[in-house]
Amino acid sequence: MTIAWKEMKKSKTKFVILGSIIFLVSFLTFIISGLSNGLSQDNAALIKDLPAGQFYMSSDANETYNLSRINETVQKNELKKQKDATAFSIQMGFVNDAGDKQHSVAFVTSTDSKLFEKVGQGEVVLDRSLEEEGIKVGDTLTNNQFSGEFKVKGFVDQKKYSHAPVAYVNVENYKEIYRVNEMQLLFIPGQAKAQAITGLQSFSNKQFLNAIPSYNAEQMSLNMIVWFLVVISGMLFAIFFYMMNVQKIGLYGILKAIGVKTSSLFVMMWSQMLFITVIALGLSIALSQGFTMIAPKGMPFSLTVETTLQLSVIFIIIGFLGATLSGLQIKKVEPLQAIQQGEV
Amino acid sequence: MTIFTIDEVKKTFTNGEVEEQVLKGVNLALQEGEVTALVGASGSGKSTILTIAAGLQRATEGDILFEGKSLTKMSQEQIRKIRASEFGFVFQSAHLVPFLTVEEQLLLMLNVSESKMKKREQKEEVEKILKLVEMNHRKDAYPASLSGGEKQRVAIARAIIHKPKMLFADEPTASLDSKRSKDVMTLIRDLTKTLNITTLMVTHDEEMLPYADHIITMRDGLIV
Repeated sequence: MTIAWKEMKKSKTKFVILGSIIFLVSFLTFIISGLSNGLSQDNAALIKDLPAGQFYMSSDANETYNLSRINETVQKNELKKQKDATAFSIQMGFVNDAGDKQHSVAFVTSTDSKLFEKVGQGEVVLDRSLEEEGIKVGDTLTNNQFSGEFKVKGFVDQKKYSHAPVAYVNVENYKEIYRVNEMQLLFIPGQAKAQAITGLQSFSNKQFLNAIPSYNAEQMSLNMIVWFLVVISGMLFAIFFYMMNVQKIGLYGILKAIGVKTSSLFVMMWSQMLFITVIALGLSIALSQGFTMIAPKGMPFSLTVETTLQLSVIFIIIGFLGATLSGLQIKKVEPLQAIQQGEV
Repeated sequence: MTIFTIDEVKKTFTNGEVEEQVLKGVNLALQEGEVTALVGASGSGKSTILTIAAGLQRATEGDILFEGKSLTKMSQEQIRKIRASEFGFVFQSAHLVPFLTVEEQLLLMLNVSESKMKKREQKEEVEKILKLVEMNHRKDAYPASLSGGEKQRVAIARAIIHKPKMLFADEPTASLDSKRSKDVMTLIRDLTKTLNITTLMVTHDEEMLPYADHIITMRDGLIV
């Protein structure tokens, strides 16, 4: 440990350069991951924020919630049986403000439930992003398929669907806009295992998210971007630590020759790797969290503590593997061979 | 008294399909407190036998006995322990640790040899040895700022600080001018005698031979 520290102190530039590379690569990974999570959240926050439970849509909908129609009798029975259950529908649409400016929204309506906003007829509750577009509480909005007007009752934070802000409307108003009588979906929160309901097909939260075509395709691309980045960054980490140690094979040869234990050499490699990685990761975590504050408004960015920790642990493990791999190579060579290799 | 014996040691290097026997059965006995010089033409195997004797690489055949114990039968860890506490090395180039000061190089060696000395005693010992090699005034210097002769003096100090029983020196004056070479050899000889260290030294410089008690000549992997 002392030797490791003394080397870092003496060769500051070398270690600062190495640390900067680790910082930049991890910062890039955190930012891309934050943007990807942000996009994912922007696409389906409405569904993702719901508690774990079971979604039901009609069996003949071919797993497409837009085509689903829940039979009214079945809905009534289930809502009676399950206290927290709710039926709801989502449709893309638009509203016009007083200046006749059109705003894309995802209309959402539901039966009485704590999980969705309760709105009266002629009222609308909007995602806060529309407030940033100039809409205020008390404003009047219109829709060309709706005979009346919507009065803005309030705003809610982070409620988006298919990248559009959510507009909670009353069931009766929704029925008028979309000329339908049935709800699309039934949701029973807290239900770990699906129950068999005649004519309905069940989905867990994850299965339901994947059944949303736009979400599924987008998520696959985003996940691929993030995982490719993680794998490539991880490999870079491992290669850097491997190269750093293999380059010093002559030094390790001298230390081995004078009788330094191989375990001490491993401790030296690991502690240097850990020191650089922890500082570089700490810096990139702080900066990526700081980025949330300076990111342009409306830019989807979400970097949770969980994701940050997961990525950090992956990087530390990979860095550790890289250092260990070079350590094993150094362990194998005889001191003289190591000294001679270092002289080349 | 014989402290170190090299018995029928052979070493073969394999390079692809080509095998080259560098040592063809070397026998040698080293007496306690004496300096033995190995001389011979380049490629005669003198450096190879020195590094095998010092436990820096393994022999293909034969045995090495240190105080009656066979090095060839020992595990890597046992050999490391002996290298750390009983052996000292001086290489052709000093091979100092670049990020340690002169004082730290010697303290590291004391730690590696698991010296029972307290920190203060270790510092005193370092000072004593540095005085002996006339390097006390450069104890805070890093290797990069030392001259070739100074580096070699520090390497010698590092090789003897833990009071080894054996000192192995591979052309310790190769990188030095004539005056510095004589200084270093005088130092090695004096320390050997003062501390009763047995020294095996490889040299190709005939001017260094008067400093040795015994001179052994090698040719084509054999002692002649």
